[in-house]
Amino acid sequence: MRRLIASLALCALASGASAEDLVSGLSQDQIQITSNYAGTDIVVFGAIESPETSETAGGIRDVVVVVRGPDADFAVRRKARVAGIWINRNKISLYGMPAYYYAASTRPLSKIASADTLAQYQIGLANLRPKGESTRSPRKGEPFRLAAIRLRERQKLYAEAPAGVEFLGYSLFRVRVPVPASVATGEYAVQVYLFRDGNVVSAQTTPLFVDQIGLERRLFRFAHGRPYAYGLATVAVAMLLGWGSSFLFRKQA
Amino acid sequence: MEIYLPIAEMSVHWLVLLGMGAAVGFLSGMFGVGGGFLLTPLLIFYGVPAEVAVATTASHLTASSMSGAVAQWRRRVIDFKMAGVMLAGGLAGTIVGVQLFALLRRVGQADIVISAGYVILLGSIGGLMLNESLRALRAAKAATTQPAAERHNWIHGLPLKMRFRTSRLYISVIPPIVLGFIVGILSSILGVGGGFVIVPAMIYLLRMPTSVVVGTSLVQIVFVTAMTTILHAASDFSVDIVLALFLILGGVIGAQYGVRIAARMQGEMLRLLLAVLVLAVGARLLYGLVITPRELYTVAVGMP
Repeated sequence: MRRLIASLALCALASGASAEDLVSGLSQDQIQITSNYAGTDIVVFGAIESPETSETAGGIRDVVVVVRGPDADFAVRRKARVAGIWINRNKISLYGMPAYYYAASTRPLSKIASADTLAQYQIGLANLRPKGESTRSPRKGEPFRLAAIRLRERQKLYAEAPAGVEFLGYSLFRVRVPVPASVATGEYAVQVYLFRDGNVVSAQTTPLFVDQIGLERRLFRFAHGRPYAYGLATVAVAMLLGWGSSFLFRKQA
Repeated sequence: MEIYLPIAEMSVHWLVLLGMGAAVGFLSGMFGVGGGFLLTPLLIFYGVPAEVAVATTASHLTASSMSGAVAQWRRRVIDFKMAGVMLAGGLAGTIVGVQLFALLRRVGQADIVISAGYVILLGSIGGLMLNESLRALRAAKAATTQPAAERHNWIHGLPLKMRFRTSRLYISVIPPIVLGFIVGILSSILGVGGGFVIVPAMIYLLRMPTSVVVGTSLVQIVFVTAMTTILHAASDFSVDIVLALFLILGGVIGAQYGVRIAARMQGEMLRLLLAVLVLAVGARLLYGLVITPRELYTVAVGMP
């Protein structure tokens, strides 16, 4: 980790670029979430290549780091009371929503750029839009989209961190991205945006492959890959334990 | 230490899991029931997805009924022929039930059907048990005369008769098959073993000797819940082996204490307590169905 910071710093110093540019890296480009029951953290590093120093800099500089998971389809349902009982009544499907979304910034997003700019880059939870919907009416779909975002936020799969970008010195920054254990595996995109006075002046996207290893993941794969064998294995374990416990009872009786 | 349940996709402290298994095991040991009707709602209350609760409870029941079946087998009080006939219906019921369950999930009504099914099941069974045990407690004071059991009922008019030597019966195979079928459906949709349905039915409907009823029903439950587990694992990947393991281990520990407590208590009192417990779980589920939920929306991933 320290070496990475050093090399990034070296990079930033060595390149005498005239315009501001971004260099960013990940602690790993392939994350293997190991037997970590409570989830894990990934770290995004970056440096701003700029000819100026803190003394000569003018304007306001902001960094936004977005981690976007692979696309997923959501079925969002709303309950309604029917004959005194609450049942699922309406359903709208949202196609192509990120399975995971994390936006870290130096300041609250609304202070960094205008709503239009943020919407254009799909930055911020409020600007997450599906690639398609099962309804033609955006007015009808809107409460379902907001509910989906709210529910994913509660599951810690969507989050915003208004002070999540941590500067180490003038040009180096670091973001700690929490990844819960229930995260989807696949190709993620780490997008780093450099804003100056509310405009995106530089952006960089790095792919990140999230893979889970460890016993739980292997069991998950087993359950999905060879479901009959998994079911049989579960039954075999249950029967053996049941049979074994009958001896326990007999000894005590 | 937090344990990550790979299928339920949640982290739970292992003591909580063991505790739930032990609590249900304690009650099932105390009352001599499988405990599926308690475990499934308990898991749902705790936040385990309903389909995972149903399917995983089935595997828990495989273990607990296996334990009981082995004990009965040692005493040679199992009518394997009867169990086999019921199982034919049971396996068919399981196949139908799992398909039905998958359909309910697709249309997003599985949770509601599970809750409503439990409310009906627990409400009627709890009501019957409460009524019966109150009457028995009252009757215990006065002298009682058992009404003579009628020798022949409508069951004897049915075709396809078969001889069941262990049960000393010569009856049609249709009632046991239908009975097994109903239990198979109950098991796959609600995650119950169905002992509280088949045991009375075997005694009062099939008129099997009480001595072989328990062992025979346990054998049937072992295989029906095993089939339920396998089919749920195959059709909707909802069996959580880690969850099952902890629940089974807890259950084994809890059941032993339950059995000891039961030995010290009066039978009628036990049944009254069980009736109250059954009704309380049913009432809690009914409450969940009728109160306005805090969150009206739900989101399911990958099932558009």
